[in-house]
Amino acid sequence: MSRMTLEEFEHALEETGYITERQDKIAVTTFLAVQLEKPLLVTGPPGVGKTEIAKILSQVFGAPLIRLQCYEGLDETRALYEWNYQRQLLKIQMQRESLQEEDLFASSYLLGRPLLQALQNEKRSVILIDEIDKTDSEFEAFLFEFLGEFQVTIPEMGTVTAKERPIVILTSNGERELSDGLKRRCVFLHVEAPSVDKEVRIIRVKVPELPERLAYQVARAVGVLREKLALHKMPSIAETLDWAKALLVMGKTDLDPAWVDATLTLLLKSQEDVEIFYRELGAERLLWELKSPQGEGQRHGHGK
Amino acid sequence: MGTASDLDRHLVEFAQLLRTFGLRLSASEILDAMQGLMLVGFEDKGRVEAVLQATLVKDANQIPWFREAFRAYFAPPEHKQAWEAEAAKRAAERNAKLEQSRQELRFQGRELDIPEEQRAIYAQLPEEEQERLRKFLERSSEGMKLGVPLDQSFQPMVERAVRGSLDYWRRKLDEEGALLPPGSDDGVTSEVEKAMREREIQLLARDLKQIPPEDWPQVIKLIRRLSQRLASQVSRRYRAARRRGGVDMRRTLRQNLRYGGVLVERRYKSRHTSRPRFVLLCDMSASMLKYTEFVLQFVYGLSSVAGGIEIFAFADHVVRLTEKIHKGQSFAQMVEEAMPQAGNQWGGGTNMAISLAELIKEYPHVLSKRSVLLILSDAQTLDGEQAASLLERVRRQVREILWLNTVPAKRWREVPTIEMFKPYCQMYECYTLGHLTNILKERL
Repeated sequence: MSRMTLEEFEHALEETGYITERQDKIAVTTFLAVQLEKPLLVTGPPGVGKTEIAKILSQVFGAPLIRLQCYEGLDETRALYEWNYQRQLLKIQMQRESLQEEDLFASSYLLGRPLLQALQNEKRSVILIDEIDKTDSEFEAFLFEFLGEFQVTIPEMGTVTAKERPIVILTSNGERELSDGLKRRCVFLHVEAPSVDKEVRIIRVKVPELPERLAYQVARAVGVLREKLALHKMPSIAETLDWAKALLVMGKTDLDPAWVDATLTLLLKSQEDVEIFYRELGAERLLWELKSPQGEGQRHGHGK
Repeated sequence: MGTASDLDRHLVEFAQLLRTFGLRLSASEILDAMQGLMLVGFEDKGRVEAVLQATLVKDANQIPWFREAFRAYFAPPEHKQAWEAEAAKRAAERNAKLEQSRQELRFQGRELDIPEEQRAIYAQLPEEEQERLRKFLERSSEGMKLGVPLDQSFQPMVERAVRGSLDYWRRKLDEEGALLPPGSDDGVTSEVEKAMREREIQLLARDLKQIPPEDWPQVIKLIRRLSQRLASQVSRRYRAARRRGGVDMRRTLRQNLRYGGVLVERRYKSRHTSRPRFVLLCDMSASMLKYTEFVLQFVYGLSSVAGGIEIFAFADHVVRLTEKIHKGQSFAQMVEEAMPQAGNQWGGGTNMAISLAELIKEYPHVLSKRSVLLILSDAQTLDGEQAASLLERVRRQVREILWLNTVPAKRWREVPTIEMFKPYCQMYECYTLGHLTNILKERL
């Protein structure tokens, strides 16, 4: 693939509608991972757009996205490869006399799982290894060869090397400390919840019909929830967008307490968090906070 | 950053600086940083910072250190010179004070054999205390025993007395938070350390007892974040030693298909170990109250997600706090209510022996092979021997005892009870949030 400059890359991101800002370092870091051909490890709380990065890269580079969702107990037979035993047995039955061992361990008997598929693709692909922190550390060690050299060694067959080096994105919510070995092989990006400015821009792109003033109020209100309350689960960007859409659908021109009460569950998804909200803030206070001078780091240049 | 060799030098120096703050960097990371800079260019400081952060930092906790180090290392030369001058001045003052202590701490004109660390304590003492020590040395130098003047063979005795006194002051200053860290002689390093002291991350490394009230809300927020992160870990399966369970037929057959169905290799079910039940026993003596309060905050965060944590407090007697914590009662309220039950000594002295005996007798159900007993205490207790033998008994009943000790590990040898308790538990030093998080991360 032809080399891109950082400016071209930033422009391409913008065209897909993915909003970045200088402070979040998303553009530079992602660019670096792609150009240095290193996996990108993205950490941060849930719902801040980590997975989205892989989707956007797939769009920008026109490469298919292969997704490996990690879970506890995921092993190499489900992520890398497995032998097709049924087919091997059939072959044994059919050619009992003349069979050589090598015949059974040919690539036609290999079931490629997502990571191997990505290596065998003629075209460059984007691999998303989502929530790597959910796997066991043994699995992490299995990935070292893949992440470091973009190859997989199959004992019976030899080494499969990437035809086109894939773009690899790993995400982690930080449930478990990842090993130094894994971290060393990756370029690192930490994504935090967006600033009010950035979230306003996201809302404006995704829900363009919503007036800017309302977009700002929504972003600011969500910002206050994230900042002031010790919630079990912070509202994600997707939830902010849902809230903004709800505002639009209901034809609201302003946030009012009754509406906040009615739609709160679009933002807070557990009873405990709803209780925290009413105990420590409440709809009236939330709206009052929107009128008060803005907190640090939330300067905003959009009109009111 | 002009030529390539300049770039090399700056990068290596910067990496070295980051290493002093605990970032683990290998040559490959420095190489990545270099390639990244070649790609992105050096004109834009923000981009240079982003490249270096992407390649040299590997953990979100390290980002604040990185930022401060970047700011300080790439600061204008005049700032760096000022920091260097400041650090040099501090170092000179420190050296002068140490030299002065060498002159002052003498017995019959001979310098006392006192370690540097203790000399630094002497230098920090209030003037009247220094005066008192000097007077003591003067009097001893001219002292008489049985009508005969003291000779130099008494020096070791005098040294012991001085060391003992300085040790007392170290503890006292430490408790008051007045003990000054030695600080770095390097201007940039000391600037970063200074900046970090003023930031949240430093709270992780600060003795909990010394966190001023104005920082409390910030700390509590940090604690909640940490405990929520850990809670998801606790709720995961707890895997002990990988002992084998029965034969797993499904996996065995699948494995042996490759041998034409002949059972060559067996596959075993991994034995499912039940999740442990945590029992927390907190010390409520005066010196421990602050630590206990923080740890309870932490546990509160954990228990909201991973239930089943039993919480007890003890001073003279043991009191069960589990329900109070679950009801979301504040610490002050809890202390107030539980005080009469725990005896008048609450917030005063500690008797671990009585408390352990009560725990065994009154709450036998919490001590089982599924339980992991966490004890938060400085191990300063009356009746140490009795307590140690009870601890041994408890050890036989539970899966494991983890002792979170708020006394720094290097001082453990000075506390005899710690030596008595150590054989029956895994003891960890735990006086900062950083310690607490690391222990729980490692053990849960």
